[in-house]
Amino acid sequence: MKRSQKEGLKSKFIEALDLPKDVVLDLPRVTVTGKIGVLIENHRGIIEYGPEKVSINTSIGLLVIRGEGLFIKYVLADEIFVEGKVRAVEFEE
Amino acid sequence: MLIIKLWNCLRGYVIIKIVGRYGERLINQAAFHGLYLWDIRRLEENTLLAKVSVRGFFKLRSLARKTRCRIYILQKRGLYFSLNRLRKRKVLLLGIIFFVAAIYMLSSIVWSVEVNTQNETLKNSVLKDLERWGLKPGIFKHNLDKKYFLDKILLNYKNVSWAEIEIRGSRVIVEVVEREMPPEVEEGTPCHIVAAKDGIIEEVLPLRGEAVVKPGDTVSKGDVLISGSVSLAGGDGEEKKLLVRAKGIVKARVWYRESVEVPLVESVKTYTGRVKKAYKIRLGNRELYFQLGEVNFSSYEEEDLKVRYIIPPAFGSVSFNPVLYREVKEEKRFLGVEGASQEANRRLAEKLKILPGGVQIVQKKVEFTLNPEKQVVVGTLTLEVIEDIGIEKEIE
Repeated sequence: MKRSQKEGLKSKFIEALDLPKDVVLDLPRVTVTGKIGVLIENHRGIIEYGPEKVSINTSIGLLVIRGEGLFIKYVLADEIFVEGKVRAVEFEE
Repeated sequence: MLIIKLWNCLRGYVIIKIVGRYGERLINQAAFHGLYLWDIRRLEENTLLAKVSVRGFFKLRSLARKTRCRIYILQKRGLYFSLNRLRKRKVLLLGIIFFVAAIYMLSSIVWSVEVNTQNETLKNSVLKDLERWGLKPGIFKHNLDKKYFLDKILLNYKNVSWAEIEIRGSRVIVEVVEREMPPEVEEGTPCHIVAAKDGIIEEVLPLRGEAVVKPGDTVSKGDVLISGSVSLAGGDGEEKKLLVRAKGIVKARVWYRESVEVPLVESVKTYTGRVKKAYKIRLGNRELYFQLGEVNFSSYEEEDLKVRYIIPPAFGSVSFNPVLYREVKEEKRFLGVEGASQEANRRLAEKLKILPGGVQIVQKKVEFTLNPEKQVVVGTLTLEVIEDIGIEKEIE
């Protein structure tokens, strides 16, 4: 309870100052390019990888990309690019 | 990303197979350590395919031990490996070098010389002479002195008005344009003797033809002096015209006028002996100057020294030209009216030398006037000479 209060305060503070949230709150930034690619910035590592399902850990939980023939185009310390036929991008708590 | 890809192609990369249950963990570890992995695919349940740079591969091996994965190299790709493979084949490498050198050598030799002109005889003789002067198949085209050959052609062939040497690949093409020579009046063609200059006739000596002018006549340029059309008085009073080639000497009094201006204050340039070198690099048409230190001469002259080509001129004009600055001291010398007159006299005397030969100077008058506005002494020379003014002109 205390934690969420603190978070709420922080978020309000940021909103008042008009700062970019993804930078300050350490949120992942997901860019979906049509159905063919997903770029995830600020990730916390790959949990599971398969051609139908890619799970990526982020600061706010698991990000699951579903599709067909998925493959990881490249992996950098804070950036992952997944290519293939993308069906769904969802967050799992 | 393209740049990284290209860089990896150059540096070389390997396609690896990661076998193990925790392949994802290895990828995470790799990313965390700053390794770049790309094109990751799952092959089977426990097998991943990935590409990694050569340097990254060695780091990955130690990471693989920690995450209990096994790495196998499937393929080595990129220029690095190709060169490595090539290094073992020394003879092939030697062959490539030899081949490039041979192509370069052979392409820098002139293989054929062509002369382009309408006239077949001129073409052959120019070709033969060029061979005699040293422009023939077998010489190197880089040290071909175009100007030397052009000068030689123009000096030796009076009927060539324009020539150009072009190096096209291994061919040297010499363009020669023949001059249309003015038709020389042939012996037997009827012609007049006409005046080449204005003057007063002093003496007429017709050798053939009929004198039209007599001593004392004033003629202007182009006037007929000795006519080539001779009238024959026939027996029956009829006049017949006979056209002949007029010949003769017509001496006339001709005036020349020359004037020079000599300033009262003359500036004399002397070199102090202090020089400074600068350099410029030419890239095509652009010039880039740079110099060591400053040229702190109040006045100087610039002189271009010999051009050095960094790469052979055939491959583009990148050259390195040193420039020499010579310090010049300008001294003002006051000549005065007397001195300036003497100078003018001397210069006029020099001009006299360029008069055509075979003239007789009758009168020479030199006048000096001072022009105070421009601070100059004007020397005027009036010459009265007697010379042959007759030239041949065909009768239409």
